[in-house]
Amino acid sequence: MASREEAGAPKLSSSVKLVLLGEAAVGKSSLVLRFVNDDFQENKEPTIGAAFLTQKCNLPTRTIKFEIWDTAGQERFASLAPMYYRNAQTALVVYDITKPTSLTKAKHWVAELQRQASPGIVIALVGNKLDLASSNAISANADDVDDAENEDRRAIPTSEAKAYAEEESLLFYETSAKTGENVQAVFEAIANAIPESTLKPRGGAGTGMGGGARSSANEGHSHAVNMADATRAAKEGCAC
Amino acid sequence: MLKFESLSVRPKTPPPSIPSPPLPTPTHRPGRNFTDFMSQTDDDWDADVKDETADDFLQQKIKPPRSIEHRPAVSSKLSGNGSSTDLSRAPTYPSPRRKDTQGLKPQFEGLVRDPGNSLHMIYHPTLSADTHTEAEIERLNSRIKRINKFKRILQSSTVDLNELREISWNGIPDELRPMAWQMLLGYLPANSDRRINTLERKRKEFIDGVKQAFVRGTAGLDQTIWHQISIDVPRTNPHIPLYGFETTQRSLERILYVWAIRHPASGYVQGINDLVTPFFQVFLSAYIDGEVETFNPNSLPKEVLDVIEADSFWCLTKLLDGIQDNYIHTQPGIQRQVAGLRDLVQRIDNSLTKHLAEQGVEFIQFSFRWMNCMLMRELSVKNTIRMWDTYMAEGQAGFSEFHLYVCAAFLVKWSEPLQKMDFQETMMFLQALPTQSWGEKEMEILLSEAFLWQSLFRNSSAHLRQGGAAHVPTINL
Repeated sequence: MASREEAGAPKLSSSVKLVLLGEAAVGKSSLVLRFVNDDFQENKEPTIGAAFLTQKCNLPTRTIKFEIWDTAGQERFASLAPMYYRNAQTALVVYDITKPTSLTKAKHWVAELQRQASPGIVIALVGNKLDLASSNAISANADDVDDAENEDRRAIPTSEAKAYAEEESLLFYETSAKTGENVQAVFEAIANAIPESTLKPRGGAGTGMGGGARSSANEGHSHAVNMADATRAAKEGCAC
Repeated sequence: MLKFESLSVRPKTPPPSIPSPPLPTPTHRPGRNFTDFMSQTDDDWDADVKDETADDFLQQKIKPPRSIEHRPAVSSKLSGNGSSTDLSRAPTYPSPRRKDTQGLKPQFEGLVRDPGNSLHMIYHPTLSADTHTEAEIERLNSRIKRINKFKRILQSSTVDLNELREISWNGIPDELRPMAWQMLLGYLPANSDRRINTLERKRKEFIDGVKQAFVRGTAGLDQTIWHQISIDVPRTNPHIPLYGFETTQRSLERILYVWAIRHPASGYVQGINDLVTPFFQVFLSAYIDGEVETFNPNSLPKEVLDVIEADSFWCLTKLLDGIQDNYIHTQPGIQRQVAGLRDLVQRIDNSLTKHLAEQGVEFIQFSFRWMNCMLMRELSVKNTIRMWDTYMAEGQAGFSEFHLYVCAAFLVKWSEPLQKMDFQETMMFLQALPTQSWGEKEMEILLSEAFLWQSLFRNSSAHLRQGGAAHVPTINL
């Protein structure tokens, strides 16, 4: 029952395995829920193990079907993570812009992915809960203006996370799953950034963990994605 | 696959009236297993002998937090929902208001003292042949009969636990469940002379433990544990109104926190927040009239809330004692259970196992959660409560071994649709199984099927062993 629509279409069409990693309660599941269903739930039950979802992203040059593994954030479940990022072509490492420890945790995940995941994996660093910051200014200089109405809970300056992302050649976005801000943009950027060489034709058997042997062939020679790719990617549209 | 309907053997239940023909393996009776269980665990739970030392821990001084690396996220998205993540604030304890205790049973003081008093408070409506159908009257009569059976067992000065287990397997009437659960778990002594003192002591130990832990408000807590608990509690059963109330959330926080600091090998693990809720709900139901899931406990007298909390804590502790391995580092208990499930399903329904393997579906991908949360993400709390009647009747192995058979029965139930699905469809389906309409009947069928698989396979339990090297002959039916 694998879908084989658009077979033979000239446009490149491919399934991409994506894994979400990050500290507990940074909003991983909420980002996915926004991306997949354009919905938001205030008190979503904590994810146990991992949840699986899919969503298509139609770009002018390619159609990407994301097979998303949304992992549980609590440290106790961390031993399951390798199973989920194994053979993943892309990873969203999420932190909460109001919580400094969550960026530290995100950096650990990035390091682990760079060490252990597929060599060509495209990693996006995502600072979520942007709605809790009083302004979305790129500048990290804190305004001394007291905004009593809209308390700024941002604890991680954009510049700090961005500098780190550039250093590690990661895509970088700040998002709000609650308002939807930038959520599509992250997935579009990823969809554009996946090197063509790692895309495989759609419609094969399951691309789950069991399919490791099937999907590993292309993964040896892909290139790290730099910020230039991200910028270019963001300019393209996506009708997800 | 083996078709449940086509088998000549039937589990003892339901219906209980059908006599069970000989099974290919020795017949399992809940009572037999219990003796083994008691012989292994007797020492631990003899309230008068070992409890003093076992529970000393709550009297000890709570260690100061390891380190406070961060100020927890007051600003998390959850903060819109009450200030449960605000750690600067001391926990609020409900004031012992006597008025305005809507729904509280007037006899609550007697119930607090001795759960045995619940036996005298069961209300039976009077039905008349004029206003009710024969079937309704019949149903009520059989309910009364069943309640009386339980009463006879529970009223005895030393409750016969084998008898209680045997009758509980098929479900416990709501009114008697709080007492029966506490006794089945070994929290409430079977000997009625010891009950009041034991309860008083245990409850005091818990309450003192809470006081000590929270003596400096939430600032004095282990911040890593506290942070995780405080962000999970508002996300616990979010669809049930009871769990949205401030009082409920503060109670769950205290129970989970005290449990976590006393079990450093595992600490608090997500999913344990789910497991505490059936206890909280069942024990709360003892003190109120009406629907528990929509009840607002804010107006409960403090002494009642304390007791519900303490009893929930101790019963949660008993339950988790049997499945500790599920929550320690790398969660070996769950890994073993998942492997056991795969092995078991392979025997029961080889073509399903083959199909899943062909599609690249691994058991851990969907059944990790089944083990970690005892199927509570798949079933309603009410159905879980019914399931736990049986688990507790099964004894210590109920939440580990018997649960495995329940999971197997649960999975093969969907064998036919699953075998038409590819990887993605399978994963989506298994994450959102159509159990919303399930009630007692479906649960009883599930439990009966599990009982059957246990009867057939429990003695060829390679699936329960680590490594699983032993080879067991296939059973031909």
